[in-house]
Amino acid sequence: MITFIVRRLLTGLVLLAAITTLGFTLLYLGGGDIARKILGENADEQTVALKAQELGLDRPVFAQYGDWVVNALGGDLGASWFSGQPVAAAILSRLAVTLSLVTGAVVLIAIISVTLGVLAATKREWIDRVAQVIALLGFAIPNFLFAVALVLLFALTLGWFDPTGYVQFTTSPSGWAKTVTLPVVALALGGIAAITQQVRGSVIDALRNDYVRTLRSRGIPARRVILKHVLRNAAGPALAVLAVYFVGLMGGAVIVEQVFAIPGLGQVAVQATTQGDIPLVMGLLVATGIIVIVFNLLVDLAQGWLNPKVRLS
Amino acid sequence: MRFTKAGLAAALAAGLALTGCASAGSDTQGQTSKSLTLGNVLAPATFEARNLNWGNQSIYFQAVYDSLLKPSPNGKDVEPHLATKWDYNADKTVLTVKLRDDVTFTDGTPFTAEVAAQNLLRFRDGTSPQRSKILDLADATAKDKTTLEIKLKQANPAFLIYLAQAAGMQESPAAFDKPDVKTNPVGSGPYVLKTSDTVVGTSYKFEKNPKYWDAGSVKYDRLTINVYNDATSLLNALRGKQLDAAAVGDNSILPQVEGAGFKLNGQNLNFAGLLLFDRAGKTNPALGNIKVRQAINYAVDTDAMMKVVALGRAESTRQVFREESHAYDEKLNDRYNYDPAKARELVKEAGYPNGVELTVPTSSAFPKQLWPLLQQQLGDVGIKVNLVDVGQNLIADLQGQKFGLSYFTLQRDANEWQLISNMLSPTATWNTFKYQDPKVDELIETIRTAEGDARDKALKELNTYIVDQAWFAPWYSQTLYFVTNAGTNVELNAGNAWPNLWNITPKA
Repeated sequence: MITFIVRRLLTGLVLLAAITTLGFTLLYLGGGDIARKILGENADEQTVALKAQELGLDRPVFAQYGDWVVNALGGDLGASWFSGQPVAAAILSRLAVTLSLVTGAVVLIAIISVTLGVLAATKREWIDRVAQVIALLGFAIPNFLFAVALVLLFALTLGWFDPTGYVQFTTSPSGWAKTVTLPVVALALGGIAAITQQVRGSVIDALRNDYVRTLRSRGIPARRVILKHVLRNAAGPALAVLAVYFVGLMGGAVIVEQVFAIPGLGQVAVQATTQGDIPLVMGLLVATGIIVIVFNLLVDLAQGWLNPKVRLS
Repeated sequence: MRFTKAGLAAALAAGLALTGCASAGSDTQGQTSKSLTLGNVLAPATFEARNLNWGNQSIYFQAVYDSLLKPSPNGKDVEPHLATKWDYNADKTVLTVKLRDDVTFTDGTPFTAEVAAQNLLRFRDGTSPQRSKILDLADATAKDKTTLEIKLKQANPAFLIYLAQAAGMQESPAAFDKPDVKTNPVGSGPYVLKTSDTVVGTSYKFEKNPKYWDAGSVKYDRLTINVYNDATSLLNALRGKQLDAAAVGDNSILPQVEGAGFKLNGQNLNFAGLLLFDRAGKTNPALGNIKVRQAINYAVDTDAMMKVVALGRAESTRQVFREESHAYDEKLNDRYNYDPAKARELVKEAGYPNGVELTVPTSSAFPKQLWPLLQQQLGDVGIKVNLVDVGQNLIADLQGQKFGLSYFTLQRDANEWQLISNMLSPTATWNTFKYQDPKVDELIETIRTAEGDARDKALKELNTYIVDQAWFAPWYSQTLYFVTNAGTNVELNAGNAWPNLWNITPKA
């Protein structure tokens, strides 16, 4: 188990190095005149040159990358070129926001998908058709469109939630709930569609196994058979899809955070990438890379716990 | 079974938390008459005084800093602020400024003439986008604790305005070298930035400065400025009554904003049209020919452009100067009435019987609906427009003289010298090819030092000349809006998208 974890972490480090190198290269290739972007249309050429010098943009790209790597290894990710805020602080202040959205969405997806998927597989009939319709809608409706519809109905028409903004949980739990509920629901829709289908299919497959027939023939109640044996076997593939979705949700948060004007990683990622804020984008690559690597490791460990056949040694 | 119970309990708890909390009331956005929440399209790039920008960012800096002078809403004049009196010498190259003696920064440091001198020199030597405006500053010295002497390399008729904008903002000298100076400003202004509640780039929270020297001018206890990167989220915030006022950059949402009960306070701020940079014909000899430039002016149906591109929220103009400027002449707006036949004739007379080809940059920053209309209208008179997508490099490419002309919207400063310095003079940022014309140079020099009628006459002559010479092809001045709710008053600031902070007030 320890060897497995160490190996996965080392692979993760290599992956992180590859991501940051590629990211830095791409940012420089498509970056254009960054000093000009920072200063805008009214700055004269002399000031633009001074700004480029101040940021070290007049040095060779390799030297700039080398400095970034050395500083990053020392824990210094630099400061945003467009706000002056230290990158680590910018990411940490937004990480909690995005993680609260994504975690909320994952929990919502898990609860609804497992419930609906199991009911659809075991009861069939109308509940199955409902699950199919929900899945279809979930796949068909882009989450930004769903987000806009949620805002129109629940925030602007009914006034139940705030249409934009974010309140920290520590400032006001009710304010927090009013600002995160709609984004979480908007984020979860696609995942609910995919995971419900996955759970439904896996449960139907598991129900056809001999051991299920055996358990039933021994008089074990159907509910116990499903929850203790079938669901455990069916959970593996669903968990794998959920892991993929978690990463997808980090991406989906980009759009949802824009619609709801939520100060999360997605919103800052859009801004930083559009602007060419290289220190911030590099910091975001590192942060999201670490999150994805750690999350996938946890999913692998959970898979082993759920299914002895893939248990790690 | 235990799993089911636990799952159900979790789901129920989550559901209760969400729905219960959602109906819990309005504590999160609770506003009293003493708080003001504004919506902006831009976050401040920095709070470091030596590198401040202006325009859409001015509102943040007026909250935390005081400037030496106060800009008047007409955009041309200045009023006393930290400076109480000021006088130029005869040739307007030495400015003596008397300063208040009762101002301290929020860190307790006293404001003195020495501090003012340091701030001015730091701004000149910094990397602010506004830096080029005060390059005429030769030196600034403190004559005594409250007397500042500013020496200029040459007279600069807009210098006092600059002291009322970014260049005049005063930062505590104790903050100059602080590592967090870009995000944690220390000024003497009416508000203090609450860094603990601020999310940089998204939401800025300010509290009233309890020791402000001009406490009577501060109308709100708390100020919040939220940043909206897209028009939809700004519209949602306005419709959800989360904002008291906002600067709206995208006019397409105005009907819904008005429908949500907001008052639309508009001013014709920028001018839109073609900037004909290459008046010497370096990149394309045709552009060096006045007849071709005039043909470009005659060829465009500005009414159609206003309707299609500006959604009708604009006013037709053929001039770059503002309507209230001494340079403005109503008659000049008829100089190039839409006349394709005349434009065609001019192209032929210019020596291009087979027409002219122009390369024009496009960018996602420009409205897409513009191009078919422009290509069609110029094409009709024998001017073929080849579009080149420059992606993110628009400004750099324009400043780098890669294009002889471009569509653009440029700010029309209320102060004429400011506008001349930005668009017309040989060193102007938006005279990208640094084109010089002896007559223009002569008129600019007159305007630099003349006063009264002589100055006004020179301004009018300059404007008439550049319209005749077709330095630009302006189509219309675009109306931009600052919207306010029923409880908020505003007095707009000519030439700036944002009003002065002290001119946003609660309704009695």
